[in-house]
Amino acid sequence: MKPALLPGSLWAVLAAVFLVLPFAQHDYLLGIGLSFLMWLALTQSWSVLSSMTGYISLGHVVFYGLGSYTVVVSWQQLPLWVSIPLGGLLAAVFAVIVGLPVLRVRGPYFVILTFGLAELVKYVLLAVEAAMGVSSRLLFGAPDLVQIYWMMLSLAVASTALLWFVHHSRFGHGLKSIRENEDAAETLGVPITRYKLWAYMLSAVIPGMVGGVMALRSTYFEASQAFDPMISINMIVMALIGGGTTAMGPLIGVAFLVALSELLWTEAPQFYMVILGLLLVIFVMKLPNGLLGWHEARRRKHGRAAL
Amino acid sequence: MGVLDVLFSGQLLFAALLTGALYAIVAVGLNMVYGTMRLLNVAHGDLVMIGAYGAYWFFTGFGLSPLAAAPVVAVGCALLGLVLYRLLFAQLLRTTGNPVQLEARSLLLFFGLSMVIQNIMATLETATPRAYQYLEVVYRVGGLAMTGNRLAALLVALAVCIAVALFLRFSVFGLALRGVIERPDAARIVGVNVERVHWVSVVLGFGVAGVAGVLVSMMEQFSPFIGFPFTIAAFIVIILAGLGNIAGGLIAGLLLGAIEVYGVALTSPNWRSVLLYGIFVFVLIVLPKGIFARRGRA
Repeated sequence: MKPALLPGSLWAVLAAVFLVLPFAQHDYLLGIGLSFLMWLALTQSWSVLSSMTGYISLGHVVFYGLGSYTVVVSWQQLPLWVSIPLGGLLAAVFAVIVGLPVLRVRGPYFVILTFGLAELVKYVLLAVEAAMGVSSRLLFGAPDLVQIYWMMLSLAVASTALLWFVHHSRFGHGLKSIRENEDAAETLGVPITRYKLWAYMLSAVIPGMVGGVMALRSTYFEASQAFDPMISINMIVMALIGGGTTAMGPLIGVAFLVALSELLWTEAPQFYMVILGLLLVIFVMKLPNGLLGWHEARRRKHGRAAL
Repeated sequence: MGVLDVLFSGQLLFAALLTGALYAIVAVGLNMVYGTMRLLNVAHGDLVMIGAYGAYWFFTGFGLSPLAAAPVVAVGCALLGLVLYRLLFAQLLRTTGNPVQLEARSLLLFFGLSMVIQNIMATLETATPRAYQYLEVVYRVGGLAMTGNRLAALLVALAVCIAVALFLRFSVFGLALRGVIERPDAARIVGVNVERVHWVSVVLGFGVAGVAGVLVSMMEQFSPFIGFPFTIAAFIVIILAGLGNIAGGLIAGLLLGAIEVYGVALTSPNWRSVLLYGIFVFVLIVLPKGIFARRGRA
């Protein structure tokens, strides 16, 4: 695999920008940076399962929500350096428990099943919270934006590194063989059940921790927001716009959608959703391999024309 | 009132029948579109929503009764289906050979369409729920009290389901449709015009979904975002009943309606969505091949 589109220098520049950003003392910019890092962390994690294996999860918000809930429930009882990783751990445990039955379901049924599962967990939590007489929980004395930013930066770096390592590992090649032809992969001795379960678990940990950190940012918790299906949909659209299985694809998609949502989300949320929907339609119909795939196809065509 | 009185009340039975008939009529259209083309139409519930607003516009704008508006709304939804078929579905079917890939792509495509439809409606009509009052007269039979709109909705839903089931059972088109569902390649070889079956299924399916929306709007308030639970319910119904099995869909719809209504009566309305999504997850996991079980045998 030639890393023509993955210049290390770009990542270095990006890292430098994000390392300097907090010192600019500019809350608005820092907020945008935070949302960029959050989506990067989520989408890179999502890719570990979905781009690699082709099992498209439309319910990754469930891990985010569980992490959020963990931090909120243990607020002022556990220190954050315990509760945030605990959120990630619980998300991973949940992934392992539901993973075995859920990952047996293939193709589009897997997609709608993950969606249904996330909604099920959301409604169970809503019903439980209502039965306990809690409608929303507030967090008092949450850390300030700069601290939250540093936590998110480390999660984004961890998530990107995770995808990089999986992409270049033997394990990653196994996952890609599942995507190309699961039955053939199994026949050739790829332990598909174990690999899929590992991928599912690995892709759950960081979203769980991201959810915990974002609970600190919003300083309150409401199940319908922490489990908002839009979070899952955003991840898919971002990955789909970028395309490919490398860490570069999500980066392109995240940059594009964060800019778009910054322009439209607060001013005209419904218009933003219409645009998002149209993007899905256009990319599925015209560019199913994303911008990265389109670029590579063009390069190949031009390369051949030159010969 | 004790638990047993609740369970044996005619009121609850009526509610279960009504919910079930609604689920069945919503599922009819999804069954045809999914069955013949393998397009996973997650925007199906949004057509129900469009139908509801259509009836509302005719009622508030022209004073037209929803039952009279139903055919007009059905034609409108059918035309929308035809346009989408020409613009998107036909191309998607042509360019994607592999059925698994087709289903995954169609799912994302319809998800995008669903977001577009919901948010255009939310821009036009705001997200505030709407409702209107129609046929609120109460009929009493023994201890059972039914409002006219609910009774009418039940009868229309059952009539439409039975009519579609009979049409597909006894017409030549129905035979072609079942052929396309079971063996699309074989159907083409024996001379079935597969493309025509496709677009007629879209037109019929979308039209019936519009009628379902009219019925919903007669009884309940609705917002641009009511569609998705209907889609989920319709998926449960067609997975339980099997592709192309409209009569089975009626039974599965009634079963789902009964589970939901009696389940909520025994717990609380907070658990309604838990129950619906719970059944959905359960059905998908326990029947992991879902509807494909049939294809595997063939």
